[in-house]
Amino acid sequence: MIISRQKELKEILKTLKERDIFIIGCGKCATKLHVGGETEVLEMKKRLSIAGKNIAGWTVLSSACNISSWEEVLSLNPGIGKSDVLLIMSCGGGVSVISKFSEKQVYPALDTESLGGIGSEILKEQCGMCGECTIWEYGGICPVARCPKGLLNGPCGGGVEGKCEVDERKCAWDEIYDRLKKLGKLSNLEFIYTPKNHAKKMGRKKN
Amino acid sequence: MSFREKLDSGKFIITAELSPPKGTDFKSMLEDAELIKDIVDAINVTDNQRAVMRMSPLAACSLLQNKGYETIMHLTCRDRNRLALQSELLGAYALGIRNILVMSGDHPVKGDHEGAKPVYDLDSVQLLGLIQELNRGFDLSGNRLEGHPDFCTGAVTNTELNEVSLIKLGKKIRMGASFIQTQAVFDADLFSSFVEKINQIKSKRIKILAGIIPLKSEKNALFLNKNIAGTKVPENLIDRMRKAKNPEALGIEIAVELINELHGICDGVHIMPVGNHGSTRKILEKAGIL
Repeated sequence: MIISRQKELKEILKTLKERDIFIIGCGKCATKLHVGGETEVLEMKKRLSIAGKNIAGWTVLSSACNISSWEEVLSLNPGIGKSDVLLIMSCGGGVSVISKFSEKQVYPALDTESLGGIGSEILKEQCGMCGECTIWEYGGICPVARCPKGLLNGPCGGGVEGKCEVDERKCAWDEIYDRLKKLGKLSNLEFIYTPKNHAKKMGRKKN
Repeated sequence: MSFREKLDSGKFIITAELSPPKGTDFKSMLEDAELIKDIVDAINVTDNQRAVMRMSPLAACSLLQNKGYETIMHLTCRDRNRLALQSELLGAYALGIRNILVMSGDHPVKGDHEGAKPVYDLDSVQLLGLIQELNRGFDLSGNRLEGHPDFCTGAVTNTELNEVSLIKLGKKIRMGASFIQTQAVFDADLFSSFVEKINQIKSKRIKILAGIIPLKSEKNALFLNKNIAGTKVPENLIDRMRKAKNPEALGIEIAVELINELHGICDGVHIMPVGNHGSTRKILEKAGIL
């Protein structure tokens, strides 16, 4: 799940100078997170109308980042052709994919934060997308994503009483320690992990 | 005798901390250094400490070395990727800097440029490993160097350690740290149990320099407790500071008491005053270690 949050309306209006707008929501992550599903798209439509914009139409694609046929999207949504711009209520992936296929001016209504998940609560920053996953070494808790410094060999010492120095989150390394203890794998902590190969991140290097 | 030779000699070590200027005017840094001339074995020079932007420690160390001081250059992982770290280290050695203190570095959100991109390409364990490689004559990719450094490296630690932090400290020692400088110590008993823990994990003798911050006031003590991770001024000291007629004089007295208590437990002390080194000489004289 891609974790996104809505931009402030005044921030959107600062860049959105055009008048005729078509709004596109996303049926996947943005719907689940209540930031770009049907309810939010309709709310956006209402707020933009109040701000004097003409809404040429709206839709919620089943997945904004998975466009099998843009022609089909166009035929189902004639308002797209009549609009000046597209306001996309999805993660940056969806905005970029729609921009590529539509070749229209797009504006994002969301800011994309991290790769996470959702359970009984929203789980932000679960994966750092480093391109060489070794999460088992850390008891299934990714230090690249969960530690704001991405430290691979243990905590920084900046935490106070189990709390990270950056914000209210728990120290990822305390969580890694607890989980490894539970799994009977505390010996993993003794291993000296070498620096990440960032060339792997984008698949530039296979090994 | 160099700092490294002094470490090896078993002499009680005294180091003191200086910050580079925020700006290009380094006069007051040199004046502060003048206050501790000939009484410390080396001067630590901080690296954008607490993520507040200042002159580079490499430049500040070089300015101090030119005046005859031996320095310990701090090097954090926060601001430089592996290319920048290595070129910084080679430059430092070429300019006569022989000692490096390695640390992760406070996160940018703690400082005065909170929007800065945090780098942390390497962590402190990996950076110590990198310095070992440079010392052996190779860069991190295994390329041979044309002339190589021979750094004496140190690591930092809090003195109240949970198991995962203790394991990390053990890794720093395995990766070649030959001395440790600790966060400020205010409780000799706690420090003593910390030293015992270190003695259990290490395979070789590592030198431990205890951090000393002379308290300025009750407010200063409370500030340290609130803002400096790993620093805990106990209630009884805060109480004494509160009741003191002359808090600054009491702060000096407490520092002297601590140094006396720590003398037999550690290999040296590291003085980190709030502000300048105006009291450092007095503290060391009163503690009888000059």
